[in-house]
Amino acid sequence: MACLSLLAGLAIAGQAVAQTSQPGTLRGLDLPGLKPQGGAQQDAPAGPVFKTKHVTAELLSEHTTLRPGATAWVALYFNIIPKWHTYWRNAGDSGEATRIDWALPKGYAAGEIVWLPPERIPVGPLANYGYSDEAIHMVPITVPKDARPGPNATLTANVFWLVCEEVCIPEEGVLKLSLPVAGGAPVADLRAGPIFRKARAALPKPSPWSAQFRFEDKRFRLDVAAAGLKREVIEDAWFYPYGHGVVKYAAPQKLTVTDRALTLETQRGKAAKPITEVGGLLVLKEKLGDGGTVTQAFRLTAIEADSGFSIGFWEAVALALLGGLILNLMPCVLPVLAVKALSFARHANQGRGKGQGMARHGFAYAAGVLASFAIVGAVLLAVRAAGEAAGWGFQLQEPVFVLLMAYLMVLIGLNFAGLFEIGGRFAGIGGSLAGRAGLSGSFFTGVLAVIVATPCTAPFMGAAVGFALGQTAAVAMAVMLALGFGLALPFLLLSLAPPLLRLLPKPGPWMVRFKQFLAFPMFATAAWLIWVLSLQAGDAALLGALAGAILLSFAVWLWQASAGASGRWRPAGIGLAALAVVAAFAMVRYADGGAPAPVRADRAPESAAATGIVWEPFSEARLAQRRAEGRPVLINFTAAWCITCIANEKVVLRLESVRQAVDAAGMATLKGDWTRRDPVITRHLAAFGRSGVPLYVIYPPKGSPKQPMLLPQILTEGGTIAAIRSMAAEAKRAERSGN
Amino acid sequence: MTKRLKTLTATAFAAALLASVPAAASTPEVGRPAPDFTGVDSNGASVTLSALRGTLVVLEWTNHGCPYVSKHYGAGNMQKTQKSARAKGAVWLSIISSAPGRQGHVDGAEANRLSKTRGAAPSHVILDPKGVIGRKYEATNTPHMFIVGKDGTLLYMGAIDSIRSANPADIPRAKNYVTAALDEIAAGRKVSQPVTRQYGCSVKYAY
Repeated sequence: MACLSLLAGLAIAGQAVAQTSQPGTLRGLDLPGLKPQGGAQQDAPAGPVFKTKHVTAELLSEHTTLRPGATAWVALYFNIIPKWHTYWRNAGDSGEATRIDWALPKGYAAGEIVWLPPERIPVGPLANYGYSDEAIHMVPITVPKDARPGPNATLTANVFWLVCEEVCIPEEGVLKLSLPVAGGAPVADLRAGPIFRKARAALPKPSPWSAQFRFEDKRFRLDVAAAGLKREVIEDAWFYPYGHGVVKYAAPQKLTVTDRALTLETQRGKAAKPITEVGGLLVLKEKLGDGGTVTQAFRLTAIEADSGFSIGFWEAVALALLGGLILNLMPCVLPVLAVKALSFARHANQGRGKGQGMARHGFAYAAGVLASFAIVGAVLLAVRAAGEAAGWGFQLQEPVFVLLMAYLMVLIGLNFAGLFEIGGRFAGIGGSLAGRAGLSGSFFTGVLAVIVATPCTAPFMGAAVGFALGQTAAVAMAVMLALGFGLALPFLLLSLAPPLLRLLPKPGPWMVRFKQFLAFPMFATAAWLIWVLSLQAGDAALLGALAGAILLSFAVWLWQASAGASGRWRPAGIGLAALAVVAAFAMVRYADGGAPAPVRADRAPESAAATGIVWEPFSEARLAQRRAEGRPVLINFTAAWCITCIANEKVVLRLESVRQAVDAAGMATLKGDWTRRDPVITRHLAAFGRSGVPLYVIYPPKGSPKQPMLLPQILTEGGTIAAIRSMAAEAKRAERSGN
Repeated sequence: MTKRLKTLTATAFAAALLASVPAAASTPEVGRPAPDFTGVDSNGASVTLSALRGTLVVLEWTNHGCPYVSKHYGAGNMQKTQKSARAKGAVWLSIISSAPGRQGHVDGAEANRLSKTRGAAPSHVILDPKGVIGRKYEATNTPHMFIVGKDGTLLYMGAIDSIRSANPADIPRAKNYVTAALDEIAAGRKVSQPVTRQYGCSVKYAY
């Protein structure tokens, strides 16, 4: 510490060298080792300001006094000359974070620097994280309870910083700030006020979302469980890790936004040790409806995603092959294959299709499986290329797809159960194509096997396909095909080695029973799918799916029952069946248009939580009614995809202090949810000159001459409470004058 | 249907196929073969890493204008490290990847003069003004250190020492990672800290 204050003088001396330096020339030298040790010794009278050629450093206090027992906020403020910058806590590829060593009176304690979000500073193939033009480093100082009011207390900051343009200059300075110790209400420092306001508005907030990370070979992937955001409202997203080795600083970070998560993908860094936890700032720049943007920084700690094991290419292929083999045993696949195998067995026993014929069927089947996997693989890669986060089972995120799969399972189940037969000698299984007797029948059995395998594979195949998707398209495709080959293998072997068929039990009436039995796994799968659907799209979708399944069954029965009928009955049966099918598919509406989860999730914890404001749904009638009751009204226009709205709710509107202010003011609180565009809300936004959310309006009670008051788009605790109180006072005034 | 399904169009298909197969870039990784290179030294001689098989090789990225490099040269720490490495039979290559017109860029004569005046003892100073070798090693800082084993395997990469600062007063308290690694290699042990976080100025690459 003493050494540092000595260096303060030296920095000025060192500065003399820097003064003559020109960026990019050989003279841009500042050789700390060659500093004239012992020169410039006399202690320059240290004050709150310290100036070098590049940086004017100043120590500021938010309030004019230090209050005993309170936390005083001070800030080290840098005014940096154009094009030069100082650094964030993780400086990136080069550079060094600004450091403060405090020398404080006894009993005082300084906290860590509260880092504001940095900017990216690209330097050719490298990048730094830092600040240009200005840097604000807020630090909490704990003032002891027994600090004696009266005499000034001096806070001494020994500051080191590196300032760089092309070349870098390490600089050091001593800053001293003397403040009177006094009790009573704090008085804001007028000059420091704007700087603290700016800093507080930019302060990183705790992330409202959980996060996971994963290293995949040379990639780093961060998944933030931010449900319901919209890709198009996010202008820029960047993850600034606190630690080194997480990301390659200069590499672009690719943003994808799905219903469930926000994902950033980039190249991984070179870490000295295995990384098990990744902390950092997620900085999102959001476009607001009125053409402006708001930048929000969130502090988050990401935990490692489960399947983060890394495997090599051949291991992945081998695992995929094994996985494919296992797929044959899945409850939704086995029945399909069993039935097909039975038909094979019959074939063999009838003495037809032996040898080459059988082999051709086997190959056709394998081709069907492989073609399907190739298509699924290509689609996954296409989705990945289109910027969506895709994984195996991505189809299952689509409620409509889940519903159609459930229908398919029901139909296959009904078929197995014997409710209907689709022409062809070898009991059709779920589709006329697959039921065809010829080679195309075998091919489409392969296709069907893949389709029905989907719901079963999603939970099991995640790792292999996750690996595949992190790879080049060629590797990804190889893994997908290995998976397919594994699925096709048992059947292919059976067809290539007809003697194996003898191992199959002899055909007989038991086959019918067995097939009927196999209907139950299919129904079980359908039940699971409908459950998944209910989670995705809600109760309406659940009812829709069940009704649809019954309608479909009814249609099948009608079709079958009227088959032998004569006269009008046949067309009537067909017509009615068609109507039922149409109705079943109309249920898709409930799956597709289901309420998005965020809105439901939002409502539940709010009413359940003891703290926080209870919001009534916004409507014009309710607004008028509450105002007529003589109450001021706070309206929160929000949307599930609006990051700023979520941040405001989690950080400010949930606060107990805000709820108390609302209660004390007798204020009604309405929430206008604009997640799905609502013309009434749109009109209200427009009335305030806005075309997007967030918008916070406080209406005075009816009859007050006061205009509705707008809160800023980024709420602060103090500002919000002050606004609520001012309108409460207005309400009381209105009441008095009304009386 | 919804948006996600709509994105599964033929266009995206084509894009996926085109976007596939990126070139596999070799990056330096401890335990794997160090990227090979051929450079020209300050005397115009050609130096090839693979031709140095059978010898330990230390790579040092440097820029004499950088305060962090100056910290170690000003205090004689880098020279000491060089001499002890060479005494153990290692070849020391100082590599300058600064682009013409940017900090640290020098010609051969200037490089030799700098070695002489600073009492530096590299086996060669390699001039890499296009940053070819630097980019191959993903050298980000000056100083940035690498050790290549006798069999051509990368054994160490990272910082010169453990205290990330430009202050020469920190040198005596710091652990010199390069010397420590060389000692371990000489003793036939595994390098206990094979990857550390390098610190210093950015390499002044051409861009």
